[in-house]
Amino acid sequence: MKLVALMKKEFHRFFHDPRLIVTILLPGIVIFLLYTVLGNIIHTEESRELKVYLSGNSAVVGLLEQQINESGDKVEWLPLENEEEARAAVKEGEATAILTLTENFDSFGEGARAGIVYDSGSENGSYFYGLVSSVLISVGMRFPIDVQTVNDSADIGREILTALLPFLVVTFVFSACMSVTLESVAGEKERGTLATILATSVKRSHIALGKIIPLSCISAIGAASSFLGVVLSLPKLMGLDATVLVGYSFVSYLLLFLLILSFVPLIVSAIGVVSTLSRSVKEASAYTSVLMILVMLVSIVSLVVTQMGEWVIAVPVLNAVTAMGRILGGELPVWQSLLSVGANLLYTVVLVWAIAKMLSSEKVMFGK
Amino acid sequence: MEDLFANEIVRAENLKKTFTLSRKQQRLEKTALNRKIAVNGLSFSANRGEIYGLLGPNGAGKTTTLRMLSTLIKPDEGDAYIMGHSVRKEPQKVRDCVGFLTGELKLETFFTPDYLFDFFGAMHGVEKEVLAERKRELFARFGIDAFAQVKVGDLSTGMKQKVSLVVSIVHDPDVVIFDEPTNGLDVLTAKVVTDFLLELRRMGKSILLSTHIFSLVEKLCDRVGIIIDGKMAEEGPLAAVCGTTSLEEKFFELYHGLKGEIV
Repeated sequence: MKLVALMKKEFHRFFHDPRLIVTILLPGIVIFLLYTVLGNIIHTEESRELKVYLSGNSAVVGLLEQQINESGDKVEWLPLENEEEARAAVKEGEATAILTLTENFDSFGEGARAGIVYDSGSENGSYFYGLVSSVLISVGMRFPIDVQTVNDSADIGREILTALLPFLVVTFVFSACMSVTLESVAGEKERGTLATILATSVKRSHIALGKIIPLSCISAIGAASSFLGVVLSLPKLMGLDATVLVGYSFVSYLLLFLLILSFVPLIVSAIGVVSTLSRSVKEASAYTSVLMILVMLVSIVSLVVTQMGEWVIAVPVLNAVTAMGRILGGELPVWQSLLSVGANLLYTVVLVWAIAKMLSSEKVMFGK
Repeated sequence: MEDLFANEIVRAENLKKTFTLSRKQQRLEKTALNRKIAVNGLSFSANRGEIYGLLGPNGAGKTTTLRMLSTLIKPDEGDAYIMGHSVRKEPQKVRDCVGFLTGELKLETFFTPDYLFDFFGAMHGVEKEVLAERKRELFARFGIDAFAQVKVGDLSTGMKQKVSLVVSIVHDPDVVIFDEPTNGLDVLTAKVVTDFLLELRRMGKSILLSTHIFSLVEKLCDRVGIIIDGKMAEEGPLAAVCGTTSLEEKFFELYHGLKGEIV
């Protein structure tokens, strides 16, 4: 009952203060509006005329054509006779891409492969690649596409999108957790209201849980707001079709959801530890900024280093980011995701225990 | 154990507490030592249905003593027993039977007195029906009922103190520990608080308070402990401590004896 009362207090504090609600939801709305406006400025809405060299036939081609036509764009299918010439045409911008599908592609059986060659520096090329990926995922393809780009310069297509999203998720989750946790833990300590609770017979572990559970829920709302803001506007910003993000399977979304869900309490607890150790919100903000830089650095590592060993599961933040990256890249790393979720929850338990210990520490709570 | 503490509700035995001083504190205290003994071997006892006053100047160690008794901080040496429970070994049990009011413990200004009373009632595990009845009584007694739904941040200083007081005794504790209970209050609110302390005594509660106001001790306390520099200079029933002199005269007699003339 005491734990429930503690949790209810945190929820009450948040949901009865319109300013806090705005603070937590505003970033998502602002991100969506900003990215959408920027996307509209950068990418004009002229209809695209795509020229694609095609080898092989499949029902997928019909689906692609249908989607392209529904978007108000046009596609011209050219037979792939000379691959060298076709590659040169893609590189010169005279054609959009080369799409190769094996004869038994529709069976999704052994040997069924899909390949795409496109110019990653071209807006139409990236658009077509994103479209192919999402259509193939939506029809249930379980193997990666053979991707080749004719341009080695900046890869601004789906690969960056899927690599960038986990990093953005981490950043937004951290921001959401920071805004609520600093105020609730360091703020209460600074104002002396936490000491009033410590003078009662409630267990310190209940006080710690009574903070971390509701703050994680509230942070998750903020993180979801920011995440949706990014997801809904990023394709627009990058000139990609929105279908690039709706083509994932239910399991992919479930794993993404679980990873984010495990990541939020971990960050809240980490900021909770820093806040409990700090004497004021100002001091806690300074330390949390350092923590944020560390978390962002770890996230960036996953952008740069693509091949990492199994040990990555044991590294908080990095485990979730790499798993999210693989999911968004079209893979289904079920075990990596579940083990990462388990590891994050384990770290959260350890951090909550540490907070409870600190709440019992006279030096931490009442040291001048 | 119960029989042993049947009348003696609070017993402090050789309490000692030392704090580490920061460089800034060393400068303020004008000392080269980085340790300060706040409480030095303090022993005293308070009985059921009595008001015990800890009297002393600022920095004498009164608040530190009360903080140890309410288990917010631990003694370095010695122990204290509240209703037979050791503050060192059974802090949870001590917190259940103690109500502690000090300026250091604040209430969140965002919440209303009504919400905070219910919240702290839940923290102490008070039954809902009992809590509702107690809230009705205490809010009416202190005139809080009219402000029950006003955020604490919007209340006057006196009303805030009244809310803090009722919240500190939400669980109807047997021992009430008040640190400087009338500090910063206007005369009307101070009167309400002192009258309530007398009422608590009539109800059989044991009250420990710290103050530097002689008249408050003379008006309220059955027993008094005079603390100077963390040590108990004199302790006992008020009449025995004062003898034929006033409390103020007795205090300065002790003070001069220990510290010399005030410059």
